[in-house]
Amino acid sequence: MTSKTNLTGLSDLKVLSDERLAAIIREKDRELYGEIIRRYQTKLSHYLRKFVHDADELEDVLQDVFIKTYKNLYDFNVNKKFSSWIYRIAHNEAVNYIKKHRKEAFSLDAKELEIIDEKIDVKKEFDAQLLKNKIGKSLSLMKEKYREPLLLYYFEEKSYEEISDIMRIPRSTVGILIMRGKNILKEFLTR
Amino acid sequence: MENQDNKQDNKIEQKVMSEIKSGRVKLRSKYIFLAEKLGLGSAFALSILLAVLFFCLALFYLKASDNLIYLSFGSRGVFAFLESFPYLLAASLVIFIFAAAAILKRSGVSYKKPFSYLAFGLLGFIMLAGTILAFTNIPERIERGTFGKHPAGVFFRPFFRDDMEARKNGIAGRVVEIGENYIVAQTPRNVEKIDLSELKIRLREQINEGDFIMVIGERKNGLFIARDMRVARPDDMPIIQRSVHQRFGNFVPLMPR
Repeated sequence: MTSKTNLTGLSDLKVLSDERLAAIIREKDRELYGEIIRRYQTKLSHYLRKFVHDADELEDVLQDVFIKTYKNLYDFNVNKKFSSWIYRIAHNEAVNYIKKHRKEAFSLDAKELEIIDEKIDVKKEFDAQLLKNKIGKSLSLMKEKYREPLLLYYFEEKSYEEISDIMRIPRSTVGILIMRGKNILKEFLTR
Repeated sequence: MENQDNKQDNKIEQKVMSEIKSGRVKLRSKYIFLAEKLGLGSAFALSILLAVLFFCLALFYLKASDNLIYLSFGSRGVFAFLESFPYLLAASLVIFIFAAAAILKRSGVSYKKPFSYLAFGLLGFIMLAGTILAFTNIPERIERGTFGKHPAGVFFRPFFRDDMEARKNGIAGRVVEIGENYIVAQTPRNVEKIDLSELKIRLREQINEGDFIMVIGERKNGLFIARDMRVARPDDMPIIQRSVHQRFGNFVPLMPR
C-alpha cells in the first residue's frame, strides 16, 4: 500500500480509529479511503440489504453511500462517532431508495430469524420458513419510523445513542419506537 | 455466499477508489461546509431577530392603536376589532417563527432533545425578548419612521399603514366639526362624516372639537351610521393620534367658531 503519511504499514493503519483515519484522509492522504471502505462495506451491505433486495441495485446504493461519505468528509465532526455518521448517510440513501421503489417483503437470514425469535419472543410453533416469510412481510408492512430503529438495534447491534445519531431523533424516542415496533411485530406475528 | 460478498465488496472498493484517484469524485471543500453552516446560522439569527421585532411591533400596535379598544364596546365592537387587527404583522411573525423552527430542525444540532421542548423554548424567547423590546422606544421610532420620511420606513409601511385603512365597522379619529346629529372626524386616511341620529347609547361625555373619538357602527350610502361612541384619552391610541397629526397637522376647526 502506498501512503503519503507517516504510517509505516498496514498494521499501523489497522489500529487507527475511524475518526483519526477520516481526519488523515481529508487532510493528508485520500488514498487511505480504501481502508474506510474495507471497514464498512460488509456492515453497510448487511444493513442496506434490508431495503434493497436486488444485488445490482444494492451495489449501486452502497457505492453512492461511499462516494457521498468521501465527498462530505469535511462535514464530519472528528469529535463524534464516524460509524454513526456513515450509517446516517446510508440511512438517508435507504430512505431515498424506499421512496423511489415500492415496498417489498424483507428477506431475513437464519441468524436474523433467531434474533427475532429470541428478542421479540414469538413463542408460536411456526414452521421456520413460514415464520421467516411472515416476519419479512410484517417488517415490510410496518411503518418506517418503527422498522428502522428495530433493524438498527437488533440486526446492526447499534446502541440507543448511536441510533439517535443515525436517525436524528432523541434517545428517549428511540426507546419508545423500539418498544412499539416490537409490540407491533408481535401483534402481526400472533395474528 | 461469502465469496460472492467479498467479490462484490472488492468491486465496490475498486470502483470508488478509481473514481477518487481519477479525480472524478472530489472532496467538497471545507469552506463550502463552513459557508453552509454560517449561512444557516445567519438565517436562523435573522429569523429570530425578525420574529422578536415583529412580536414587539404587534404588541405595540395592539397597545397603541384603536384595535384593542374596540373590544371595550362589548360584542358590538368585535367586527371593528377584527377589521383593525394587524393580520400582516401577525402573519409575518408566524412565518418567521416557523422559519426559525425549520432551520433549527434542519441544522441537526437539536435532535438530542425532543423538538417540542425546543419549540417552546424558542417561542418563549421570542415572546420574552419581544415584550422587553416593546417597553423600549424602538417600536415607536419605527412607527414614526414609517409615517415620516425615513428611508427604512418603506419596509415597515405596509405593516402599519394598511392596518389604518378606512373600516366598515369602526372609526377612530379627531373631531373637527360638531353639528346636529352628526360630527366630522379626521382619521388617518380621510375626513369622515358620522351620523349620530341612530346612536343607541347616549354619550356620557361632552364632545369637543379637537377631541379624539372612537365610534362603532356601519356604513350606509357613503355615510357612517354610529351605534356607539366614546371619547378617547390622549394616551389611548397614540398611533391614531400621530397618524392624524401627520396627515392633517395641528387641530384646525373646519367651521369657524
